[in-house]
Amino acid sequence: MLGLLETGSGFWSALIWVVIILVLSALIIYLRNKGEASYKKSTEQDKPFISGNPELSKENSHISASHIYWGFTEALKDYYNPLVKFHTGNINDYSGWIIVVTAIVLIIVGVSG
Amino acid sequence: MDKVKLNKYFERSLWVFHLNTGSCNGCDIEIVAGLTPRYDLERFGIKLVGSPKHADVLLVTGPVTSKMADRVRRVYEQTPDPKAVIVVGTCGTSGGVFYNSYNLKGPVDQIIPVDVYVPGCPARPEAIINGVLQAWIKLEKLREKMKVITPVK
Repeated sequence: MLGLLETGSGFWSALIWVVIILVLSALIIYLRNKGEASYKKSTEQDKPFISGNPELSKENSHISASHIYWGFTEALKDYYNPLVKFHTGNINDYSGWIIVVTAIVLIIVGVSG
Repeated sequence: MDKVKLNKYFERSLWVFHLNTGSCNGCDIEIVAGLTPRYDLERFGIKLVGSPKHADVLLVTGPVTSKMADRVRRVYEQTPDPKAVIVVGTCGTSGGVFYNSYNLKGPVDQIIPVDVYVPGCPARPEAIINGVLQAWIKLEKLREKMKVITPVK
């Protein structure tokens, strides 16, 4: 199981992976220990720096897509607002739209064909 | 200050976080002037950083408005020890012309402990550089004290 597996295009050894993981773990632990050790836990030093503002709860501190696209949707609100009204959530409305649009397409095809 | 003593204090780079607590920007411009080629503070390893978590020194300008008092306290608490606080300008030192304003919680030393005062309206870059050096000396003494209390591994 831990032996060398040779294939036509190379080899695979679990032991090499174990050694790599051990070396990387040692490196990570070393670098982590080089960091600031004197910071005080469970104080403000433990919290993120948000320009001096208090940290909100995790639920309230996320940035939603509406924040990112605010300017975009604001600029195109005349286009988006009617579209939003179409989306009633009622499947009968959506089926009605399909029937109406299909009927219009068939009429156009029938007239021009 | 002789050369040997100066070299002792220049062993480490000094990272500074600049905090505006309601300043008119006069002092802030003079701080930036200290970084321009004329004064070139960075040749001593002194540089401004974007987070108090990376800073050794807080450079505070402005008289501390009501809105900023809480933020100043929080930024001070987020700065790792040992730390020094420099107040730049008359407003931060005493309130200046705004001393009796309804909207002030300051001056700065009423909110957080201050180590060095650099008065002036605005303070000259030479004075700010001198203030930073004074803070540096104080900081090194604090570091020595911390080494005695908790030996560095």
